[in-house]
Amino acid sequence: MESKPRLLTILDVVTVVLLLIATYMVFFYAPQEAVMGDVQRVFYFHVAAGWVGMLSFLVAAVAGIFYLVKKDHKWDIVGLAAVEIGIVFAFINIVTGSIWARPIWNTWWTWDPRLTTASVMLLIYLAYLMLRQGIEDPDRRARFGAVYAIVGFLSVPLTYFSARIFRTIHPIVIGSGDPGAQGAFDMTPLMLRTFMFSLLTFTFIFVDLLWRRIRLGRKADQVEQLRLKTME
Amino acid sequence: MTVERQSSYVPGKGETTASSKAVGFFRAMGAVVWKDLSAELRSRELLSAMLVFALLVILIFNFALDLDPATRRQSTITAGILWVIFVFAGTLGLNRSMAIEKDRGCMDGLLLAPVDRSAIYFGKALGNLVFMLMVEIIVLPIYSLLYNVNLFNPGLLLVILLGSIGYVAVGTLLAAMAVQARTRDILLPILLFPVVLPVILAAVKASTGFLDGLDMIEIRPWLNLLIAYDIIFSAVAFMVFDYVVEE
Amino acid sequence: MILSLLLQDATANTTSYMIAGFAIIFGVMLIYLISLLVRQRNLQRDLEVLQDIQEDEK
Repeated sequence: MESKPRLLTILDVVTVVLLLIATYMVFFYAPQEAVMGDVQRVFYFHVAAGWVGMLSFLVAAVAGIFYLVKKDHKWDIVGLAAVEIGIVFAFINIVTGSIWARPIWNTWWTWDPRLTTASVMLLIYLAYLMLRQGIEDPDRRARFGAVYAIVGFLSVPLTYFSARIFRTIHPIVIGSGDPGAQGAFDMTPLMLRTFMFSLLTFTFIFVDLLWRRIRLGRKADQVEQLRLKTME
Repeated sequence: MTVERQSSYVPGKGETTASSKAVGFFRAMGAVVWKDLSAELRSRELLSAMLVFALLVILIFNFALDLDPATRRQSTITAGILWVIFVFAGTLGLNRSMAIEKDRGCMDGLLLAPVDRSAIYFGKALGNLVFMLMVEIIVLPIYSLLYNVNLFNPGLLLVILLGSIGYVAVGTLLAAMAVQARTRDILLPILLFPVVLPVILAAVKASTGFLDGLDMIEIRPWLNLLIAYDIIFSAVAFMVFDYVVEE
Repeated sequence: MILSLLLQDATANTTSYMIAGFAIIFGVMLIYLISLLVRQRNLQRDLEVLQDIQEDEK
């Protein structure tokens, strides 16, 4: 498994092209939002990153289920890869969200349902890594990772609902406006197209990075096995 | 501690194997609970640790949040502080309960018994729940006295029960994993808190609601969330516990 | 200050925030990609070293 598969190279090219187009659309195709100005353009990739974060989480949970059922080690590699990528994009999501919030809502942070859920998700991801780090036996590590990925994945929607109910009963007015009502702007068709295209682009980015990370995982396993053999 | 051996249990006339399996399950579960409770009754080390810890947390909050009596008696403050106490004391209980199993090798003994692994899970979880409830029952009157708040509110007690169930359902599972890791003690809170957040959120809101004497209509969504959480996580933990304790 | 701008119906000047936002997006993605490539290369090197050792031991 040393040479890079041709399909991956093709995927790389396609992904880069899509990203270039998406970036063009974000800066030139989509109009400037009337009230918020330039910072609104961040929204397209901010949501796309959030989408990738959630997708990664789903992949990790499903990989967990497959690992527990099939006991095939490759699912463990997929799970870890998905979590790592999820951390990257959840981080991007949260930080860009904060950057957007500052000029619009006059605050760096707000405990609205989406940000709350996003940060909880990131914390669960990090906890997953810490769990794995504390376990030496590879089989147990994989099993526990799988279990936690499943449990974590199930708890996140519940966090979201809790935070939603929290907000409808106690609407919060922060700074210059109510964040619940705000942050929603009407998307013109051009904006909508840019938005959907960004989602598509980031999905490709996800698949590309996931594939790369899985290959990395397989190589790491190879090295580890060879290392053990050499030490015999 | 005796565990009924399923292989030696011969179904009598009219009994199906399904019902005898159920009997075996509950017997095993009961055995686990009884083992934990009777051990604790003798040594009382778990309960005293949790209790002293809870009282210390009350003390710390007293000075950390130096509030005037009127503010302090607000339902939001009371509910918040109570649940922080329960969450942290609960972590202590979960950790110790599982560590005792591992350190004394009880877990291996339990696993050798021919019973459904999930019976062990429910037994442990029930034991943990009992300990948590005992601590809560003691903390409530003490807090009432110290801060002049009436906490003998049936709604509040219901919320505490439901919240504790959810906490213990997922906590027992995660503690079983954490105790097998190198970073055992610090790992449980890291694993548990993000996942148990919906329970805490709902429990605090519902507690506040009951303390304020709000209409059931306002409190109902939180109770529903708690019940949903309890069911979902008990079910998931039950299904997955096997993988966590297998050798 | 932003509030008064908004009230005046003018578009807020948030360009600097936009730049910061995109810097994060592209920057972090790039850093991650580079980390993947670096780790891949390191592992490849480790693999070759280990394979050499295996050969020598024969």
